Amino acid sequence: MSLLEVTDASVRFGGLTAVDGLGFSVEAGEIVGLIGPNGAGKTTTFNMLVGLARAAEGTIRLDGRPLAGLRPHSIAALGMTKTFQNVSLFMESSVLDNVVTGALLREPLAEAKASARRVLERVGLAGVAERPAADLSFPERARVEIARGLATRPKILLLDEVMAALTPAEMEGIVALVRQLRDEGITFVLIEHHMRAVMTLSDRILVLSFGRKIAEGRPEEVARDPKVIEAYLGREWAAEGAGPGQARP
Amino acid sequence: MQLLQALVDGLLIGGVYGVVSIGLSLVFGVMNIVNFAHAAFLMLGMFVAWFAWAFLGLDPLLGAFLSFVLVFAFGCAVQQVLVRPILAAPQVAQIFLTVGLLIVLENAALMAFGADFRSVQTPYQTSAFRLGGIIVSKPYLYAFAMALLSGAAVWAFLERTAVGRAMRATAQDPMAATLMGIDTQRMHRLAFGVGVGLTAFGGAVILPYLTVSPTVGSHYVVLMFTAVVLGGLGSVAGAVVGGIAVGVIQSVSALVFPIQLQNLVLFVVFILVLALRPDGIVRRRGA
Amino acid sequence: MSALSLPKRCSALARPRALLLAALAAAAAIVPLFLDPQGYWVRVLTLTLIFAALGQAWNIVGGLANQISLGHAAYFGVGAYASTILLINFGLSPWIGLFVGMALAVVVALVLSVPTFRLKGHYFALATLAAGEALRVIANSWQGVTGGPVGLSVPFMPDSFWMMSYGAPRPFYWIALAALVLVTLVFWWIKSSALGYRLRAVKENEQAAEVVGVNTFRAKLWASLVSAAATAAIGVVYVQFTYFFDPDAVFGVATVSVRLALVAIVGGIGTVIGPVVGALVVVPLEELVNAALQGQVAGLSAFVYGAILIAVILVEPRGLVALFGRLRRGLGRRPGGAGEAGR
Repeated sequence: MSLLEVTDASVRFGGLTAVDGLGFSVEAGEIVGLIGPNGAGKTTTFNMLVGLARAAEGTIRLDGRPLAGLRPHSIAALGMTKTFQNVSLFMESSVLDNVVTGALLREPLAEAKASARRVLERVGLAGVAERPAADLSFPERARVEIARGLATRPKILLLDEVMAALTPAEMEGIVALVRQLRDEGITFVLIEHHMRAVMTLSDRILVLSFGRKIAEGRPEEVARDPKVIEAYLGREWAAEGAGPGQARP
Repeated sequence: MQLLQALVDGLLIGGVYGVVSIGLSLVFGVMNIVNFAHAAFLMLGMFVAWFAWAFLGLDPLLGAFLSFVLVFAFGCAVQQVLVRPILAAPQVAQIFLTVGLLIVLENAALMAFGADFRSVQTPYQTSAFRLGGIIVSKPYLYAFAMALLSGAAVWAFLERTAVGRAMRATAQDPMAATLMGIDTQRMHRLAFGVGVGLTAFGGAVILPYLTVSPTVGSHYVVLMFTAVVLGGLGSVAGAVVGGIAVGVIQSVSALVFPIQLQNLVLFVVFILVLALRPDGIVRRRGA
Repeated sequence: MSALSLPKRCSALARPRALLLAALAAAAAIVPLFLDPQGYWVRVLTLTLIFAALGQAWNIVGGLANQISLGHAAYFGVGAYASTILLINFGLSPWIGLFVGMALAVVVALVLSVPTFRLKGHYFALATLAAGEALRVIANSWQGVTGGPVGLSVPFMPDSFWMMSYGAPRPFYWIALAALVLVTLVFWWIKSSALGYRLRAVKENEQAAEVVGVNTFRAKLWASLVSAAATAAIGVVYVQFTYFFDPDAVFGVATVSVRLALVAIVGGIGTVIGPVVGALVVVPLEELVNAALQGQVAGLSAFVYGAILIAVILVEPRGLVALFGRLRRGLGRRPGGAGEAGR
């Protein structure tokens, strides 16, 4: 049994079908990349998984348990949470308090504070623990997002573009962190526009276009898939004859 | 027959509710502010019409135009001085600014005009048309007609004039409107002025069958909000439909419940509508 | 439950503030000894304490969770009516009536939570406003029990602590002070507990809070129940103090709902000291205006508090506490820096 199983799931907003009959599964310990052009439904897919958007059809199972009708906090308690693409920290609270809020899911306040500090240490933010989240730079905020998610002790953590606006060195840091965490048993699905990062990090890639899965496979397979090059990379890349594996930073 | 009578009364009263609620919806649509003081402008309009009747001998149906003009100007000033600074403020500030405005206007009126209930005398006040067994009260009918007229005028203004279109553009996408060269601040001022002016107009046309006092607005607060929420906050046509629905609910529920509980029915409808309508939840665009 | 477990230790920063508040409370307790026990000022200060306590109760939902309620009169009036009706009909002590009132307010809050908790901002304010008004209509029309629009009088009794009945206002001053201290402690405790973290998360980003495991509905519900119960209890003290009330006095929007939120907002929404500062400014000012004109100009005191509300929001929406802070920093540094403190 896979850790996460999505079968024929669709999400609709009014007349718009943002996710259309999507099916995929994620094995425990995997790192799966979710890519696709803007508006392909990647973030909506994440929202559907964590319970922010309702799947009109289909089933989602976490550890074999159907998630239909569960609110996001229950899904977090079952072990799946996400970071936000547009960074949704509690801006007026300190970095530590942000992470404590996540840690409170599993333990009482005193212990949650201790765990939160450990998590901040882990992601390299111990030095700014007492600062208001609003004071941080964007790369730091992305790390706080990850820390807050980690503090909930997820089995599977969904990362929505945590590497946007990062320098290559900072990106290396996140890549290393995700690998380490995976080795400790956390499963990841990540949405990332930065091709090199997502290609090197992922064991497997899913490609979405217009809410549908158009390709799935190992990074190098996906990068060669003509459908992907056409739908996702479009004219620009097709003309240069380059696959996403050789994408520029 | 009783039910039919109630429906007719409800329709006639509700038409006015609709028109006084348009402004509330317009202001919300254009600047995303719920104006808790809206009903106080209705009261101001009624007072203007009352004074116009008492000192100029003007029938309130005509005084209504004076109400509109004066309250429109006042509304523009209020928008400029009080509302504009808090457009970007947290919601708690927006809510309590307009609540404060409600209290100030009501009590200013109380100080200026006293707590007396004032009414006007018109030749048609107590007369009615009879259609079969149904009584159609003339003041109700005239108020309804004037309300519809003003509602149509606003609709035409929004749909057919350049300024009206600019205002709708501002409501839809302030950023794009600014880029198109629309002076959004002016649009806000105008929308607020037209919104409260229209309410004042509605207040004036119902004066022939009601009395005015500084606290008359408090009877309308929940009514208006119910009308607007029923029709969808921000929608002008919705406000009219919602207003008529409120009038009908009110007069029909009076057949079943004692008069004091009339508003209770409305409050319950209001809370249920808020809770059940998805629009009642702050809309977030899915990414 | 774990959400309400006591914080194990105060942070280093909180301790001096706790001492300061304790000293303030002690000082406040001896103030009436220097005032005429029958006098005007004891009465005004008692009202001030009552509204400070109410503002603090509102602060639990309004300040911590940013749920802007315009319907707290519902709880206030339920407490007032419950205890007075029990007192009149069964001679029950208001202290017992107080618990009955709290229980009923909790029931009302539970019932209201279902339709209102999905709402945000303006919509929540509107729904709570309508809820408070609905109870006012009920109180006005259910004449057999509530006395209808005529209102109820608390029966006259000899001085007695057990019956919460005193001819002079001074004992009520102490009861109100005790209420304020209690509600403030509850507020503080919630603020620094796990529930406080969850409420801050709800306030700042409800969706994100849910996704990282905060049961936002339950957090808001706890805050709302505690706030409702406290408001009802203070409602009992208030009517014992004023002897007489009608539906408009205890279920009114302007008289109660807005005024108690105003107290918190003028002082500083979400802060421990805010409602106290707010009440100290708003209530005596209103009374002074009334006294100066001997009530000749109807509406002036309400006009004044509406004007204060508008002024505070335009100058510093975070209230006087933030304004003082701004001024102090502004004096120490460049004056231009103050603007950045605004949002």
